[in-house]
Amino acid sequence: MTEEMPNLARIERRDVDVVLTYDGAAEFTVTYDDLRHACPCAKCSPMRNEDETSKTLRRQVEALPKEKPQVRTVGNYALGFEWTTGCSSGIYRFERIWDLANRRDPDNGRPYVHGAW
Amino acid sequence: MAMSDSPVTKHGADAGEPPADASPQEQKQMEQAYAQMKRKMSIAEIGRKIKHKVMVLSGKGGVGKSTVSTGLALALAQQGLKVGILDIDITGPNVPKMMGLDGRRLHVESGRIHPAQGHLGVKVISMAFLLDNEDTPVVWRGPIKLGAIQQFIGDVEWGDLDYLIIDFPPGTSDEPLTVAQSLPDIDGMVIVTTPQDVALLDSRKSITFSESLKVPVLGVVENMSGYTINGKAPANSEVQIAGPAGKTLKTTSDAEGNFAITIDIFKQGGGKSTAEEFGVPFLGALPFDPGFVRGGDDGVHRIVSEPEGPSAIAFAAVVAALQDQIVDSDGPGLEII
Repeated sequence: MTEEMPNLARIERRDVDVVLTYDGAAEFTVTYDDLRHACPCAKCSPMRNEDETSKTLRRQVEALPKEKPQVRTVGNYALGFEWTTGCSSGIYRFERIWDLANRRDPDNGRPYVHGAW
Repeated sequence: MAMSDSPVTKHGADAGEPPADASPQEQKQMEQAYAQMKRKMSIAEIGRKIKHKVMVLSGKGGVGKSTVSTGLALALAQQGLKVGILDIDITGPNVPKMMGLDGRRLHVESGRIHPAQGHLGVKVISMAFLLDNEDTPVVWRGPIKLGAIQQFIGDVEWGDLDYLIIDFPPGTSDEPLTVAQSLPDIDGMVIVTTPQDVALLDSRKSITFSESLKVPVLGVVENMSGYTINGKAPANSEVQIAGPAGKTLKTTSDAEGNFAITIDIFKQGGGKSTAEEFGVPFLGALPFDPGFVRGGDDGVHRIVSEPEGPSAIAFAAVVAALQDQIVDSDGPGLEII
């Protein structure tokens, strides 16, 4: 896909979701549950490989207290979300956030493969 | 080793005056507390005076981390930037030799350590400067090593720098943890790897390690990526070379008979796929260049001896990719509310 991703200009953290405003004033809403279920870290990602484990991850995420995360930039290519509970390890590339905003699978259907360890 | 546990700390004139009725033990404790406080203030000041701080790590040894650290520093200095290298590899410090500073001593004035200056004005601090004999090993337990690292951070007079490159020993141990906890506003870390499986495995650990340190990965650099052979053959003729793993590599010479063929000694592309797997940037591949070994031994880095050569060009590309990942001091322009 050669779609050009606009620049993310603003993030508004609300009680249960985040409003993303891109250049050109396009606004998208992503729930914190969707965000946390899509965590790209090495611990959460493999759980999305299979439907059953993906559902388990979803249930775990939904059972967490609803809270506003701290948001930090990672270099100039990604964001990190700090939660007081659950996993805060994932580095969310802007492309991944753009996929989530557009309701697309950020893993693009590819299973996560760990290193040999 | 002819050294005290604390090789460069100066007490006395600038250490404050403890009360006259304090016992020697109390006086010592007060001096230590004062020195610690002074160092913390100094570290905060250093954090302000150095615009960008970049850690260079690898999970595995022998992947060319110090070569990459010095190369990054020199490539940045080639852009006219003010650059320093902090060689945190206490037990195997190699940076001074690579920077032509072998045998140099550090200058200490008013309790502050002044870095040595190598090629292109790059400032260097390394344990190697404090060793009486380069054959003598540094045998320190963790706390002493960590104290020395904090001194290297807090007691050094770097002046204003655009970039400080911090070279670490291999692995995910005390040293990066101490630096990440002591030095404010680190921009991120560069992971150096070679395309072999064991190096890639350890690089993945380094990337995961960065998550626990809360220091972002700026990218992965694949070192020793391919060795290019240049040669002469009859014009416009096919050249065949027996490569690794029984592969035959083919190319065709040009009209003047020149040919170039690249052998992937340690496989190829592993650094890129590791970066993709973890969703971190791939900064580029650096060629296998025997000139680095000669240059390292002679103290003349390849970038200095051949500033327009293929390795210098590869380093410039990696540095450009690195600079793309570093957020300017005025932030990425993203409003977070």
